[in-house]
Amino acid sequence: MSKLGFAVSIAFTYFTIIYLTGIGGLFSERSGIVNIGLEGLMIIGTVTGSFGAYYFGTKLGWGVPAGPLMGLLLGLACGAAFASIHALATVTFKIDHIVSGVVINLVAVGLARFLSTIFFGQATQSDPGQPHLHVISIPLLSKIPAFGNAFQGLSPVVLLPFLIVFPVWWVLYRTRWGLRLRSAGENPEATRSLGVAVAPLRWEGVLLSGAFAGLSGAFLSVEIVNNWREGQTLGLGFIALAALILSNWSPIRLLGAAFLFGFAQAIPLALRDWPIIRSIPPQFVNMTPYVVTIVVLAGFIGKVRPPAAAGRAYEGTTT
Amino acid sequence: MAATVTAPPATDGVAKARPEWLERAVAQALALLLAIVIALALGSVIIVLYGESPIDVYRAIFEAATTAKDGPAWVLAAATPLIFSALAVSICFKGGLFNIGVEGQYLVAMVTAAWAALHLGGVLPGPLLMWGVLVFAMLGGMVYAAVPGVLKVKTGAHEVVTTIMMNGIAVSLVAWALNGPLKYTNAPAGQNVDLRTDIFPSNAKVPELGHLLGFGPAPHLSWLFPLAAVAAVIVWFIVKRMRLGYEARAVGASAGSAQAGGINIGSVQVKLFLISGALAGLVGMQQILSNNASSTGGGYLPQNYEATLGFTGIAVAFLGQNNPIGIVFAAIFWAALSRGESILPIETEMPREFVIILQGILIMSVVITYTLARRRLDRRQTGRVIAEEEAIEQQEPDQPPPTIQEVTA
Repeated sequence: MSKLGFAVSIAFTYFTIIYLTGIGGLFSERSGIVNIGLEGLMIIGTVTGSFGAYYFGTKLGWGVPAGPLMGLLLGLACGAAFASIHALATVTFKIDHIVSGVVINLVAVGLARFLSTIFFGQATQSDPGQPHLHVISIPLLSKIPAFGNAFQGLSPVVLLPFLIVFPVWWVLYRTRWGLRLRSAGENPEATRSLGVAVAPLRWEGVLLSGAFAGLSGAFLSVEIVNNWREGQTLGLGFIALAALILSNWSPIRLLGAAFLFGFAQAIPLALRDWPIIRSIPPQFVNMTPYVVTIVVLAGFIGKVRPPAAAGRAYEGTTT
Repeated sequence: MAATVTAPPATDGVAKARPEWLERAVAQALALLLAIVIALALGSVIIVLYGESPIDVYRAIFEAATTAKDGPAWVLAAATPLIFSALAVSICFKGGLFNIGVEGQYLVAMVTAAWAALHLGGVLPGPLLMWGVLVFAMLGGMVYAAVPGVLKVKTGAHEVVTTIMMNGIAVSLVAWALNGPLKYTNAPAGQNVDLRTDIFPSNAKVPELGHLLGFGPAPHLSWLFPLAAVAAVIVWFIVKRMRLGYEARAVGASAGSAQAGGINIGSVQVKLFLISGALAGLVGMQQILSNNASSTGGGYLPQNYEATLGFTGIAVAFLGQNNPIGIVFAAIFWAALSRGESILPIETEMPREFVIILQGILIMSVVITYTLARRRLDRRQTGRVIAEEEAIEQQEPDQPPPTIQEVTA
């Protein structure tokens, strides 16, 4: 079993989490709403997703795959529902996006424990060993000598980023709704002057961010860990934000950024036997996504440009 | 020249209006009251859905913070880090900067302070060690806050994003310090000890205040609380009475006008970040330098340190309207609610996390009502200015505008 293959298979897991959450952030920020509450939305996804898998899969006996699928859907729906608070605050009441995002993150921790007490009778975790989807191996790729293990035993959800990348791109750049969404994030006054209402677009952007972040959290708790544990998101919501910036808010470049940061997360776990890795404290490898993002933001490598109106309230009429 | 631009006699409508500062104060108080009512009402809905009585729950929280033995001391101790944290957020906010990196700054400061406490004992005798540790905490926070400040000024990198990234780096830095340079060396043989630093010498710790006030040694209240109150006064002084504060408010109100007025924006922003970092550096001192209110005991830096104080500081800063004195009261109020966390599962059936949800609803409604109130006041102000201008035009319809010679004379 090759170490590098093992690292890549772990990287796929992180990649999926970072990519799905990043796509959520992309929809929100493209509509003009900065969303630093992605971490909190993911947390809600983890606890509700885990409950869905347990309730439908184990308690109601729907088994696999219906139980875990219901878990993923529940995480998605609850993520969107929780994001509606952010939408209400930033779009409808036009309060500062950062403040609202901070509150989302703070409340999510308490709300997750509150829900866990109701769902599982304990505040910080659910019973381990909940149902998950059958793992898959990628045909052909999993047969590569010495590296094939990177493509074995994966959750099928890992394929999701590759399945949605083109549809997301198409929706954003080839449909009327995508054009309007992006224009709301670039120049809401111009959007309004063409008779298109800005507020509904931004609501949709924020709700989509909650749906994707919630799905991502549910993937983590249902498919990877197989139960809910407090703190299992490990700041991946912020890493997703970093990947989104590195990708320059593009769904295609986000693939690369998410895999890069996912691989950085996997290195200390999978490659710690390598001499060169052993000589570097694992904490320094863990901080690479943040360092890379700062370097890129500062313009030392390349140049990124956020949507022009992101973070700015649109003061015009909301009808 | 003077004759042409003297203010016109006030018209009836303007004369009747209350002074602007009073109008603002009343609006803010009403907005705060409304927000508290909304939060209590929405909280009641959750309580009723949970099958409990809102009156019982709110009374339990209130009594835990006020009349319970050691309640007030616990509240003041828990408010201490929140005051530092909210002040750090608010001073940046005066200059239009959003420092959400207080979280990372205080984590790094805990490491530098722990290093000083463990290594400077030989250099700084007696109580000087404590002051040395506090200075090192402030320096740690300042250095860490300088990075986003300088990046903002030199490269234009937005401080919100860079500080989020710096927060992520700080978590890893603390983990590295606890696994490496600061890892304990004196663990009892054969015992499994949680990862932490060595125990600090006793004169590195901040003396207790609780027993002086008759609360007994249990409640962990230390001299850091009065220090936090002093810090609030200092911040007030900087913002309202010093040149830097004036320049910061000018930059915060309108960077373009400030620059046109000859203010060096970059210099102001870096200074604000440095002061903010120094304040942030003191956030973690309550938990490592006193017998703190959390579970960790104090006197060392543990692996399970209390996190998210930097983020909570943002909420407290907004609750206190970014006013240094308001922040002290907001932090005490916030801590009083937090006191309910430990009492709810004992006195009622509500899970303790209800308090966090209630705090979240409160801060969300506070920000919304403040924003709406401010917008309303601004609109009224605009209306008043327009009315005044119209009054001028009506009174002096034939007066030609002042010539350039008249104005510059």
